[in-house]
Amino acid sequence: MDITAPTIILTLVWGVAIGCVYILLATGLNLIFGVMKLVNFAHGQLLMLSAFLTWTISVASGMNAYLAIIVSMIVVALLGVGVERLTFRRVLGTDKLNEIFVSLGLIYIFENAAMLIWGPQPKQIVSPFSGMSLALPGVSITYDRIIAVVVVVAALAAFGVLIKKTKIGLAMRATSQRNTTAMLMGINVEKIYMITFAIGAALAAVAGGLYGIIFSFDYQVGAMPTIIAFAIIIMGGLGSIKGAIVGGLLYGIAEQLATLFLGGIWGSAVAFALLIVVLVIRPNGIFGEKGE
Amino acid sequence: MTLKQQLTKLVRSKSFLFMIAVFAVLALLPIFISDNFFLTVLTLITIFSIYAASWNFLANSGQGSLGHALFLGVGGFASAIIGSSIATATANLLGSTQLPVGALSVTIQILSLLLGGLLSAGIGLLIGLACVRLKAWYLAMVTFGFSVIAATLSSQFDAITQGINGFPTTTLVTRGFPFYILVLSFAIVSIAAMYIITKSRMGMAFKAIHGNEPEAKMIGINTAKYKLIAFVISTFFAGIAGGLYAYFIRLIDNSVFSPLNSFTPLIMTVIGGLGTVVGPIIGTVFLVSIQQLLALPSVVDSLRASLGPLFPEVSNVGAPLGFLIIGIILLVIVIFLPKGLVSLPQKSKTMMPRIQKLVKRISSKFKRKKPK
Repeated sequence: MDITAPTIILTLVWGVAIGCVYILLATGLNLIFGVMKLVNFAHGQLLMLSAFLTWTISVASGMNAYLAIIVSMIVVALLGVGVERLTFRRVLGTDKLNEIFVSLGLIYIFENAAMLIWGPQPKQIVSPFSGMSLALPGVSITYDRIIAVVVVVAALAAFGVLIKKTKIGLAMRATSQRNTTAMLMGINVEKIYMITFAIGAALAAVAGGLYGIIFSFDYQVGAMPTIIAFAIIIMGGLGSIKGAIVGGLLYGIAEQLATLFLGGIWGSAVAFALLIVVLVIRPNGIFGEKGE
Repeated sequence: MTLKQQLTKLVRSKSFLFMIAVFAVLALLPIFISDNFFLTVLTLITIFSIYAASWNFLANSGQGSLGHALFLGVGGFASAIIGSSIATATANLLGSTQLPVGALSVTIQILSLLLGGLLSAGIGLLIGLACVRLKAWYLAMVTFGFSVIAATLSSQFDAITQGINGFPTTTLVTRGFPFYILVLSFAIVSIAAMYIITKSRMGMAFKAIHGNEPEAKMIGINTAKYKLIAFVISTFFAGIAGGLYAYFIRLIDNSVFSPLNSFTPLIMTVIGGLGTVVGPIIGTVFLVSIQQLLALPSVVDSLRASLGPLFPEVSNVGAPLGFLIIGIILLVIVIFLPKGLVSLPQKSKTMMPRIQKLVKRISSKFKRKKPK
């Protein structure tokens, strides 16, 4: 395959669009970590469930796929509340390994429930703009990818406003700094945990809907994005939202370039090699603080 | 304590006797139940007991690996390749066209397994060096990453590993009962060795690191050194389990590196009881039994008949249903029985008075109501 300027531009655009989906997932994961000091390895499975839900809603009711994402977002946020209350809350503050075990149990449950309900065949959400693309000289970009970027920017902006400007956001920031002091200040920490998890799940759900429109997906699709989101967070520094955005864009572009130059199999291996190198040199991430 | 004292203490301890009893029963079981399927399942359980025990050993030092499949795979590929090449070389040396048989083949098999374990431990040493500074989920992620990279590499260097089509193992020890006895002896030695280490001074250091790493460092434990040692020992036994697994499934391919194989020992250990000797074994028996039960043709057929209409998209309901059940069991155990199935008798002892009280209260209510 010869590599021309348009191919590289197209690769970069793809990288940005995919990076945006990862950023959304990473932001949710990051938020949950920042506030609850908990890593939910089953976060990508929420993305997978949301993709299936969006697919089902848009097929069953003929709703516009982008509207269906909103419905699925609400459902997944409620699911997140349930998951937090029934499982993570009970192991919070015990051995850190327990959180990994609970996540693993959730992964098994979500993946196999999805497999039972929707079957093993890959699916793709049909968006109202499928097949249409913006033609620029040399390259053409599908509308869906452009919309994905716009949706992500909008979602992140809304998220930023929520964190920085509202009372709940203030309570979340206080809890993330020190939950015991937050409790003394009259903040209902358990309620904040619940809201945090719901917001994280909702962000994952939006990412899932966009993912399902851009790519085809099956019940196993959640694993890789979780790991990528985790890699992004680690590279960008745990708890840092800006770091996650920079990391996400860098990762999306790097993955697409690796696929372009080295071939598809190398995409994930290169990503992991990067993650491992970063962690070996800086065990707390690039911008990560010492602590925990 | 000298080694001799340790050994005498070990031989006198209760759990050691229990272990010997279990293994004696396991060794004799196939004689009474001469069912081929049963023997296969039993062999599988024994192999995975070693694997789960090796994971448990590592977790005992506070390191939770999510990439142990890497070592299972390295051990598997290495033993299979080394075993078959030694066998051919020996045959050439003896000037015969047939592969060696009898005691010689058993020796070759054991040698190949040990070499596979050593290679796995060597790679474990390198990866461990990268991992000693990492904690909890960082470590989990990095070990997981290494297993993904291993899968990619083994498919890229297909000429050596034949990862895509699979590497057929040479049959050295006769399949069936003799192979089972080989696996069982390896399991006894491996699990006993890990147990002895856990009970030794070194094992106490592991426990201290698991409990609180900064504190362990403060009282003068070289945490990095001990974590690395735990990593190497654990990967050695995981490699041996991998070698046995390769000979068991006869054809080892890329799929051995799948995340599922990394998660299995974790689930087995946690369900059975983290940090105990018997826990991983109980968990293995439990998990393999569920999976094999749901894979039985008669069960598959009845499930298809009963649940098939509910899930029209899936042809075989058994496999995902099994994993779903395992996931639920894992959650329930982590939340309600954090010490695993091993602690069930103890837990039920403390729960018993409460249940009796409850029963009494309910029955007394009934008694009061009856006169009316």
